[in-house]
Amino acid sequence: MITKVKAGFTFIRGDIWTAISTFILTVFVLVAVLGKWILPYPSEGTGTANVDHLHIGPGAAHWLGTDELGRDLLSRLMYGARSVLFTSLLVVIVAALVGTVLGLMAAFFGGWIDSAIMNISSLFLSFPPLLLSLVAVSLLGPGLKNSLIALMISWWPWYARLIRNEARFVKLRPFVEIAESMGVSRRRIIFRHLLPNVTSPLIIQFAADLGTVILAAGSLAFIGLGAQPPAADWGLLVAQGRSVIFDQWWISTFAGLAIFLVVLAFNSLGDVLRDHFDPRRSK
Amino acid sequence: MKKKSSNPSSRKKFALISSIILGATVITVPQIASGATPISIFKVATSAAVTTWDPIQSFSTEAFYMPNIYEPLLWKNADGSATEYSPGLATSWSHSTDGKTWTFKIRSGATFHDGSAVTAAAVKASFDESKKDGGAGFIWGPVNNFTAPSADTLVMNLDYSAPMDLIASSTYGAWVISPKALAAGIANSKYYDSGLDGGSGPYTIKSYSAGSEVVLSAYPGYWGTKPTYQIVDALITPDAVTAQQMMTSGQVDWSTTIPLTSIADLKHSGKYAINVYKSPFNYVGYFNTLRAPLNNPKVRAALSMAIPYTDIVKIGGQGYGTQAHGPVPAGIYPFDPSIPQYKKQLATAKSLLAKLGVKNLSLKITYASENPAEARFVPLIASAFASIGIKADVQGILFNQQWAAAKKDPANAQDIFIVKYWPTYSDAGVDNLWSLFHSSAKPFFNLSYWKNTTYDNLVDDAAVLSGSDKVAAAKMYSQAMNILYTEAPGIYLYDEAQVTVVPRRLSIPKYNINYPFTAFFAGIKSAS
Amino acid sequence: MLRIIWKRVTSAFLVLFAASFFTFFLSRIVPNDPALAYIGGKTTAADEQKVRTLLGLDQPLPIQYFKYLRDMLKGNWGYSLSTKQPVLSEILRRLPATLELIFFAVGFALFLGIICGIIAAKKPKGFASSFIRIAAIAGISVPAFWLGLLLQLLFVGKFHIFPATGEFDIDIKFTNPIHHITGFPLFDSLITGNFTALTSGLKHMVLPALTLSAYSFGLITRMSRGNLLEVLGQEYINVARANGISERLILFKLALKNAIPPVITVTGLSTAYLITGTFFVEQVYGWPGIGGFAANSLISVDYPAIMGITILGAVGYLVINFLVDIIYAKLDPRVKL
Repeated sequence: MITKVKAGFTFIRGDIWTAISTFILTVFVLVAVLGKWILPYPSEGTGTANVDHLHIGPGAAHWLGTDELGRDLLSRLMYGARSVLFTSLLVVIVAALVGTVLGLMAAFFGGWIDSAIMNISSLFLSFPPLLLSLVAVSLLGPGLKNSLIALMISWWPWYARLIRNEARFVKLRPFVEIAESMGVSRRRIIFRHLLPNVTSPLIIQFAADLGTVILAAGSLAFIGLGAQPPAADWGLLVAQGRSVIFDQWWISTFAGLAIFLVVLAFNSLGDVLRDHFDPRRSK
Repeated sequence: MKKKSSNPSSRKKFALISSIILGATVITVPQIASGATPISIFKVATSAAVTTWDPIQSFSTEAFYMPNIYEPLLWKNADGSATEYSPGLATSWSHSTDGKTWTFKIRSGATFHDGSAVTAAAVKASFDESKKDGGAGFIWGPVNNFTAPSADTLVMNLDYSAPMDLIASSTYGAWVISPKALAAGIANSKYYDSGLDGGSGPYTIKSYSAGSEVVLSAYPGYWGTKPTYQIVDALITPDAVTAQQMMTSGQVDWSTTIPLTSIADLKHSGKYAINVYKSPFNYVGYFNTLRAPLNNPKVRAALSMAIPYTDIVKIGGQGYGTQAHGPVPAGIYPFDPSIPQYKKQLATAKSLLAKLGVKNLSLKITYASENPAEARFVPLIASAFASIGIKADVQGILFNQQWAAAKKDPANAQDIFIVKYWPTYSDAGVDNLWSLFHSSAKPFFNLSYWKNTTYDNLVDDAAVLSGSDKVAAAKMYSQAMNILYTEAPGIYLYDEAQVTVVPRRLSIPKYNINYPFTAFFAGIKSAS
Repeated sequence: MLRIIWKRVTSAFLVLFAASFFTFFLSRIVPNDPALAYIGGKTTAADEQKVRTLLGLDQPLPIQYFKYLRDMLKGNWGYSLSTKQPVLSEILRRLPATLELIFFAVGFALFLGIICGIIAAKKPKGFASSFIRIAAIAGISVPAFWLGLLLQLLFVGKFHIFPATGEFDIDIKFTNPIHHITGFPLFDSLITGNFTALTSGLKHMVLPALTLSAYSFGLITRMSRGNLLEVLGQEYINVARANGISERLILFKLALKNAIPPVITVTGLSTAYLITGTFFVEQVYGWPGIGGFAANSLISVDYPAIMGITILGAVGYLVINFLVDIIYAKLDPRVKL
């Protein structure tokens, strides 16, 4: 474990781009976690309007300007970081959990269980990504909770299929057959043998998905179906700045820039992880 | 055997060269308008979609176009006009002393777009059908029957006195339709769908592309002043920002859908005239009076003092609006400026609530997610509540879902329901005061679920009285509105102003509060 | 071949069935007022009953679903609540504009993507290669709606080069109306020699197509570069080099031929992303295509339209995947369908 972490660090140092991405992500996570305590304008960041400070552009008092309710944009973005991070974590974790459980079941039990789970997964995967989420949120009603549910619905099949394929591959290895014939309990086999071998692809997919889910959640919020005001979701902020884009350009520009940088960093991280853990798959 | 496809390098060369040529063409070929149009075209971007072209069924946003195509007997004039009404298809009108018989003299020489003459018989047929089956047919409720004793006389015989001049000027349900079209529409409910009309107004529908475009062309046989623009091309643009950009980039002459948040910048540019008018729209909130502690009027009054009214106007309306005096918007009968208003007094509200024993109050506030003003100001209410220790959970849902949920299950529905309202025609006594707060067995518009018999009786009696004596009726309405203040079943947020943004080179007719969804194209001309 | 088609067709039906069930089921969960949704504005109590009967909502759920499925198969996809027109005709009417947009977006992404992939693969350690790699990751990371706004801000707001919204200048339909031949407006204006309309259309097409192409560009660049690198490192390339064959020939005649097929797959996959991508791009640019219609239908919860769009999306995805499989099989004889 320690060696792996050490190896990870060497990797990061070796490539400036990776270093930048790690930096972005570290800042992002820190801001998300520390949240309310480090906002330049705490009350504005959490949503209190300041009607006297409308239309202020980037400057000394407000580094990124103020939004359409006079709130300091930097504080809003920082406060929004937590919702962005935790919602995407939640979606990916739940999707990964559900998908992993189902994938393992499919691989291990085989037969009709395998067919059923794989067919249902295929069904979900035969829709363009994001379409199911959009439709689900629209029909269930706009809001953060529903958008999370909608995203989870779209994401679990990827994991189910991934885990099932990986697990099948592992299961067919001789040592597992031997263990089975020796009467080792199924549980032990799953936890001791299957799981450790699927963690690498799982981690790679997880990291890449974090970025993709942030993008998807931001898109839902932009179109009006995601988090609702006064939430500080970045996609929502981009939408709010759209009507004044030609005059108060900073609102949409910086909110979207935040999404872009974080997703970029996650995707880069995903690439690095893929190169590191799975050289046979590296591009 | 695999067929050899063409050499990739030559394919690339071709692609490169052709894209260079195309690019050069795009940039260098000048935009010559070949074949200049001799007729004048007015292009407007609007969000007004057409629910139905059927003048009998019409009850929605197609009201944007309808008063250009159809005409009522008379028009109610805009705010601040010398007279209250202008003649439409009726040149004069009068009523009996008891107010139960109204006589209208029909204009001679007016024709429908199909060439047939406008007669009293045509009017009678239109109103009969509207009363029987119309989308807004209820407006003819007071009428017992219509008669047309001569070609130019229409008589309305009422069951009880009512202001028929006001009713006949309505933006819904009062159109006069050509007998041929009327009959065709009755026989075939889809007759009007492709964009046909049976009107007599200055414009007729030239073409209609559902959800995209409405093209109107001037009617040569119109009895009144001919419009300046021969063609009106209305581009249906649901997205307000796109509509705004179409105007600012010069793609269209005018846009009627501009986000309020953009107006300050448009004003700043100096290229647009910003006109502010009173509108019939206002924002009202309902307390769920079925649920403790909101069933206690004192609690409701205290909460009414925790609303940041000024900020709501500033942020929700972007400054274009005035705090409401009760649920009747300013400029609409029976508005009374002497009706008291609550003001934001957070400390008082907090101590009152403490005295009333209200602890750990948690409220669910719903609003229409598609309404940007509500999306802006409802969080302000939540913040204000939070500052006096009330937890408020704000939920934006699509209006028809918000409404359906509130109607279906009052006991478990929201605590506060925010809504934007407007009267069907310019009588907020019969409409707002009745619809919003009169008790009803099944909830419809009264989403406070409040039942107060004194209020009910006042409003019912005043409605009947307003047919013959508007002034006395107004006094009764004011009494009712005072009850609304003391009992506070709702919060009366603000009356929204109508803001039009017009390029300085154009002259657009004044906004008419009685036809709030309409743009009158006939009166548009270049500013001299 | 026929077996494959049959297999695809049956799975298509399964998908469509699932799509309709999914949307039908979800649309009945949340209480809503169908009369208000249908009429808009304000309604009276009597309207509610009228509309319920009109839309068949007073029937029990399974019957509603059965009727819906039956109608759908007959070509009646219901009536859009916002335009009151048949959903199928609304979709078909708007499809050409979106298809032209997708065509330009994918074309641009392919063109630029493959070129960048080649450049990055030829000198993998160079500055150009690093720059291209970052550009590619940026392409797949950038939010399409934000990129669209940014391009509008710069090229419309600041530099005034391109128009903000729309497919053509509005005057075109009065001054130089396009004659309807294939139904694809840009193509029709090209083949009828209507150059005023063509230039207007191309000018309007640039920004939306650029915005939409970003994601595909990223994927295609990465795939081209990666595959080309792998192929260029193979033995037979070294053999060819040792035999004195020019670098250029090696690249175009040997390497690309083997590196390209996976790019086709990726193009197909990214085109599927484009389907939902158009929702955002068309909304930002006021493009009169399916995407804008879909965005508005989702926002206003226009149930019949949403169902229609879901089905269309699924069908489109299926068709694209099918085409990709066929092209891939044709290009790479090793692959068996």
